[in-house]
Amino acid sequence: MVECEFPECTTFGSVIRFALELEKGAVAVYDEFAKDSKLAAGAETFKALAASHKKRGDLLEYTRREKLNEMIQEPIQDLDARKYIPDLKAPKGADLKAAGKFAAAMEVKSAMFYGDTSQFAKNLLSEAARIMDKMAKENLANKAKMESL
Amino acid sequence: MSALAEVKKDWGKVQNFVNGEWVDSTTKNWLDVKNPATTGTIAKVPLSTKDEMNAAIEAAQEAWWAWRETPPVSRARLMFNLKHIMEREFENVARIISQEQGKTIDDARGETRRCVENIEVASSVTTLQMGYNLEDGAAANIDEEVIISPLGVFGAVCPFNFPGMVPFWFWPYAVATGNTFIVKPSEQVPLTTQYMFKMIEEAGFPPGVVNLVNGREDAVNALFEHKNVRGISFVGSTPVAKWIYKRAGETGKRVQAQGGAKNSLVVMPDAVMDKTVNNMLASFYGCAGQRCLAGSNLIGVGDVAEPLLKKFVEASKKLKVGYGLDESSNMGPVISEAAKKKVLGYIDLGVKEGAKLLLDGRNIKVPGYEKGYFVGPTVFDDVTPDMKIAKEEIFGPVVSFLRMKNLDEAIEFIHSSPFGNAASIYTQNGKWARDFRYRTQCGNIGINVGIVAAMAYFPFAGAKDSFFGSLHGQGQDAVSFYTDRKVVITRWF
Repeated sequence: MVECEFPECTTFGSVIRFALELEKGAVAVYDEFAKDSKLAAGAETFKALAASHKKRGDLLEYTRREKLNEMIQEPIQDLDARKYIPDLKAPKGADLKAAGKFAAAMEVKSAMFYGDTSQFAKNLLSEAARIMDKMAKENLANKAKMESL
Repeated sequence: MSALAEVKKDWGKVQNFVNGEWVDSTTKNWLDVKNPATTGTIAKVPLSTKDEMNAAIEAAQEAWWAWRETPPVSRARLMFNLKHIMEREFENVARIISQEQGKTIDDARGETRRCVENIEVASSVTTLQMGYNLEDGAAANIDEEVIISPLGVFGAVCPFNFPGMVPFWFWPYAVATGNTFIVKPSEQVPLTTQYMFKMIEEAGFPPGVVNLVNGREDAVNALFEHKNVRGISFVGSTPVAKWIYKRAGETGKRVQAQGGAKNSLVVMPDAVMDKTVNNMLASFYGCAGQRCLAGSNLIGVGDVAEPLLKKFVEASKKLKVGYGLDESSNMGPVISEAAKKKVLGYIDLGVKEGAKLLLDGRNIKVPGYEKGYFVGPTVFDDVTPDMKIAKEEIFGPVVSFLRMKNLDEAIEFIHSSPFGNAASIYTQNGKWARDFRYRTQCGNIGINVGIVAAMAYFPFAGAKDSFFGSLHGQGQDAVSFYTDRKVVITRWF
């Protein structure tokens, strides 16, 4: 199981850090599923989703590096990030349906996080908000894929 | 959440970079460089001697002509090299800034980005340095043209609050246009500059073109006393900026000297309250109030005063003060024990002057960093224009709240200050915004923006006692500062 450390979300940097942890956790979960021989029927889908979440992490790093400047360093207040922390402890020996259900729940939490933080980001940086909205949509598409397994 | 890892815990002895080589200073005077959050010593910095600065100036002079003859397009390519290296090292630079200066990692990343942006702008030297001509400009068959030429050796004396960005307001433009350069960083924050110079070395600038000399008064005096130094760029306090300006006059050097500030943020009755308050928090408390663009006076106009103050204090209370490398910190420490003492002195003074202390940051304790130079967000109410806390630069997270009847009164108050660095208005009313922009005598005006930090392709400097000189830092102004316009009139028989 991957170790993820989710911060309080009080700054733009900590929101991105939280998102990076979500992506890291998702990559680890899908990688684990892809390697599980019991879940071989879904292996290609899991691999593709692991790669997709890795790419999302790269996009977040890029956003933090390129888009931050002094004018948008406003504090973020009253965002309780604890409710977005997903369960990343993948069930051992699960069948494909159970694995899909687990991953779908993880994608839903992630979609909630991106959906809600995009509202904060809109006030700070519209480019970041657009990226977060896109991430949330992708999460929901991933959820549908997982539920169809 | 644990703090991000420092690039290095202990940086050892800081070196100078002269004529393309890293050299140890021979001085007997060394200072400790401290991490302001932990107060632990993270490096030793030399107070280099006059001879050491003179050696750097001579190396820069020696390198100048060959560099001047290097075509602008080749000089630009070295800037591109540097830009790529800086992107690679981006996060390390930001973490070093946070470690030695104390600012939050988000602040430090923003600062690092501005460094890169200045390199990007300076890379456009083939356009920025282009002259102009007029066929038959002098008379029939006699053409006239202007060539924009470099001048020689320049130096920059830099402050502690932006160890990365401020040197990059200057040296990229000087060097891209064919001058050679010496950076003298603040002795309180020499590590970022040292790291930047490792990148400058890797980028392949020829020896002597960009030099680094650490130090204090002796090094600065040597810059003024050497005949080969053509000009100096400075950022610091107003008294020192005035001194620099005077010395430059006496020694016949070009100068741009940026000084202190006392910036007012004016909130009109129609301001969008939540967004205004959030934006102002970044202005007043970002970099722990140690920005020359930081808000210091908060002016509530008319009926907005009471609800504004209430919301602002509530929001200020929620800010998380902590180590800059903890990504959830909204504000880090001030730079040093002396700086903390000065800020606390002003809070004591405010109380003595009769202002009402609504939020007191004097006794803040940051778990895990109990010894750090932290001052919490502090808000005074009932501040009047005659109080020192409304007039003097505090350079800390202290907000003076003033009530004014109307915009005219607010502008009049802003004009009563000897400083003129920045001022902001929060309103949805175009007429008020236009009036404010038109009438306010400051170098930087914000409209619903609390930190009026010019992008690299715009000039940056204040007005009145916040700036001494004529050409500003960054962009085309910097190019003009570091070059001369040579007129050539041509006639062929």
